[in-house]
Amino acid sequence: MTRYRKLLSFSIGLLTATTLATASLAADAPVKGGTLVYLEQQAHTNLYPPAGGFYPNGGILNQITDKLTYQNPKTLEIEPWLAESWTVNDNATEYTFKLRPGVTFSDGTPVDAAAVAKNFDTYGLGNKELKQPVSEVVNNYDHSEVIDPLTVKFTFKKPSPGFLQGTSVIGSGIVSLSTLALPFEQLGDATKIIGSGPFVVNAETLGKSLDLKVREDYNWGPAKLEHQGRAYLDEINYIITAEDSVRIGALLAGQADFIRQIQAYDEGQVEAQSFTIYAPGTRGVNNSIVFRPDNPLVADLKVRKALSLAVNRDEILSTIFSKNYPKATSIIASTAIGYVAQEDKLGYDPEKAEALLDEAGFKLGADGIRAKDGQKLVLTSYESLPQPQSRAVLQLIAQQWSKLGVKLNVLAGDAGSKVVDELDPLKTPVAVAMVGRADPDVIKSQYYPTNRNVLVQKGGVSDKVKTFSDDRLNEILNEIASQPDREKRLKAVADAQAYVLDQAYAVPIFEEPQAYAGAPYVKGVAFEAVGRPAFYSTWLDK
Amino acid sequence: MTRYVIGRIGQALLVLWAAFTLSFILLQAMPGDAVLIKFLNPEFGLSADQVAEIRAAYAVDSSVVVQYGHTLVNFLQGDFGYSLQAGVPVSAQLATNLPPTLKLAGLGFLAATLLAVFIAFLSSMAPFAWLRNAIQSLPSLFISVPVFWLAIMLIQIFSFRFRLVSVINPGPWESLVLPVATLAVPIAAPLAQILIRNIDEIRTRPFVAVARAKGASETRLLWRHVARNAILPTLTIAGVLFGELIAGAVVTETVFGLNGIGGLTEKAVGNQDLSVLQAVVVISAAAFVTINLAVDLAYPLLDPRLRTGQGAAA
Repeated sequence: MTRYRKLLSFSIGLLTATTLATASLAADAPVKGGTLVYLEQQAHTNLYPPAGGFYPNGGILNQITDKLTYQNPKTLEIEPWLAESWTVNDNATEYTFKLRPGVTFSDGTPVDAAAVAKNFDTYGLGNKELKQPVSEVVNNYDHSEVIDPLTVKFTFKKPSPGFLQGTSVIGSGIVSLSTLALPFEQLGDATKIIGSGPFVVNAETLGKSLDLKVREDYNWGPAKLEHQGRAYLDEINYIITAEDSVRIGALLAGQADFIRQIQAYDEGQVEAQSFTIYAPGTRGVNNSIVFRPDNPLVADLKVRKALSLAVNRDEILSTIFSKNYPKATSIIASTAIGYVAQEDKLGYDPEKAEALLDEAGFKLGADGIRAKDGQKLVLTSYESLPQPQSRAVLQLIAQQWSKLGVKLNVLAGDAGSKVVDELDPLKTPVAVAMVGRADPDVIKSQYYPTNRNVLVQKGGVSDKVKTFSDDRLNEILNEIASQPDREKRLKAVADAQAYVLDQAYAVPIFEEPQAYAGAPYVKGVAFEAVGRPAFYSTWLDK
Repeated sequence: MTRYVIGRIGQALLVLWAAFTLSFILLQAMPGDAVLIKFLNPEFGLSADQVAEIRAAYAVDSSVVVQYGHTLVNFLQGDFGYSLQAGVPVSAQLATNLPPTLKLAGLGFLAATLLAVFIAFLSSMAPFAWLRNAIQSLPSLFISVPVFWLAIMLIQIFSFRFRLVSVINPGPWESLVLPVATLAVPIAAPLAQILIRNIDEIRTRPFVAVARAKGASETRLLWRHVARNAILPTLTIAGVLFGELIAGAVVTETVFGLNGIGGLTEKAVGNQDLSVLQAVVVISAAAFVTINLAVDLAYPLLDPRLRTGQGAAA
């Protein structure tokens, strides 16, 4: 009898356990339907895909456009999406893509070789008549060729090993011919951006809100994703809510499901209520301050080294940030392709810094500020609005430098003054820099004279530069952008990291994440390789 | 009267032209320009040649006189151009942003007026001196409360704590309750102050003593004799307060996430978005001029002394 009872209770227990298991399995299966309310800090600007780097733009373009290829955010490998397969010639000057059949834009026109060719002709060469600028990620582009309705070939003037990854980024979203036929100044109207993505723009109130609707017939997500078919959500409702406390309050009060941009000091109150913080990395050039050696004050390597050694990263991170902001250990993120740790070049040593400044001839004056030949070591930098708490970071660095007898003025300034002054090394010997992209090309983008040119070398947009130019650096950068051999290219990436730090051109501070927060019932939020949200597989468990 | 109105309209047009021209000159004098800000933005990562090409396409480097003439002609034809930053026609931006601002400003002003009249009457009817003092210090309190703080407090208390109104996706009227309250407080303050002072001053006039001697009740005295005379200077201030209303709207719109002219202007200033700013300046100037014209025309209706030519001259 006892044995029978035991057996019975065991069976009941087993039964309950199985039922529970099934129930929890059922809860984990994605549910279709529902509207995601997404609070965005800033209104989107122009939605021409190459302008997708701006986070509010990227957050929208990522849902309404597809890319030729998909960069797996975990492995950073390039996988098929609109392109089923591709071939690249040995010196990376010819790329041939075979397109997936049956894909259509939301206006019904096909995503065929002609449309894809037109997209990259525009992104690679620009369209002067319609004022559409070229894309940062397409370098050395020459022309396209439609081989058959589903095969397109791109030819480059010089080897462009970064192009394959370039087809996977937010700035390379494929849009319809009707969108590309519009002049640039009309592409800020989201309803005119026709893509082939899992969502379609349904309605927009300029500067206030944007409604996306699911595309029922969507059946061409990235081939290796587990989720195929239409997106789970029915709708996404973007609402511009500029004020930080209102976004967070609304999320916690249940008025919204997902928000972008949450400062480190607000993370605690969100996590305390078991909401989720998402802080995907941006896998590019770290949040750094850079020097402009054309300015005589920072022309001497010893001075730059000293300033670098006097920056206490640990203090910055523990005072201003949270665990979601990893300390920088190179000029690029530790999750970036080709990363090599450079910790030995990034120490904190105020005594050595003082000795170096003495050596360089900058002596402490009566007012506590170092000077050389009557020139005071007073530096200036603008805060960078898109970067998290840029002003607080600069002010803390100013404090750390003031202990050495170096003054750093931190300016806010209007956009116009900032743009003009940042081109003049005499006015801004120090600047804040950061860029996200999961390809080594990003280092060239950041430093090369004809690209972002953060060191303000001669040969860029600025006409204020007298002499500064670093041929060795530019040679390495060119090698990164045009070396077709993967191993050799990675070697150049390693060289660039070591060289920039040996020259103390940059002081990397932290690996910049994009911070989001979501309600506990929001499941399956994914992020592309540079931290922009993808809501294709998102569903609401409520 | 007709001549007066025509003269005033002529003046108004002159003011509009001056506002347009001055704002154009000021915007030109600022360092940088919209094209530079938009395209030198690192998000684009364009080269020097590419930026030069774009600058040529937008003709930003052509002479100031040519640009001025071009813009003026377009404005006269009702073409406000495109917002370079947002990538949409300015007219579309105005169409989405003007109505909510008018609604917010109109209701905010109405609420402010009611609040001001309420405070002024309450203070003049308060039976004890200490109570009167307390009520009379309300306007100073109101004007010292930062709009930004007030807005956030209202949201935190009424929306997030008590969940009475929703800030995200509210209904059409629900969306106006808290912003109108926020806007009304700082606008009501100067109105109430002036109304209180005028009521106090007019109460000491001989005709009030006469009316009282004839046996008028305190309430009748206040409504029929004092209030009518006290309202005129308040009306003048009301016209001027319009500027304050727009300024308050910038903060209110930002905090409550409403769209409107305030937020549009703030963004356009940041990016030196010339066409947007010019349109906003001209429209604000037009609104200012119209309101002040309306105020001037309303004087004779309220004060019989101003109806005849002689009365106005005296």
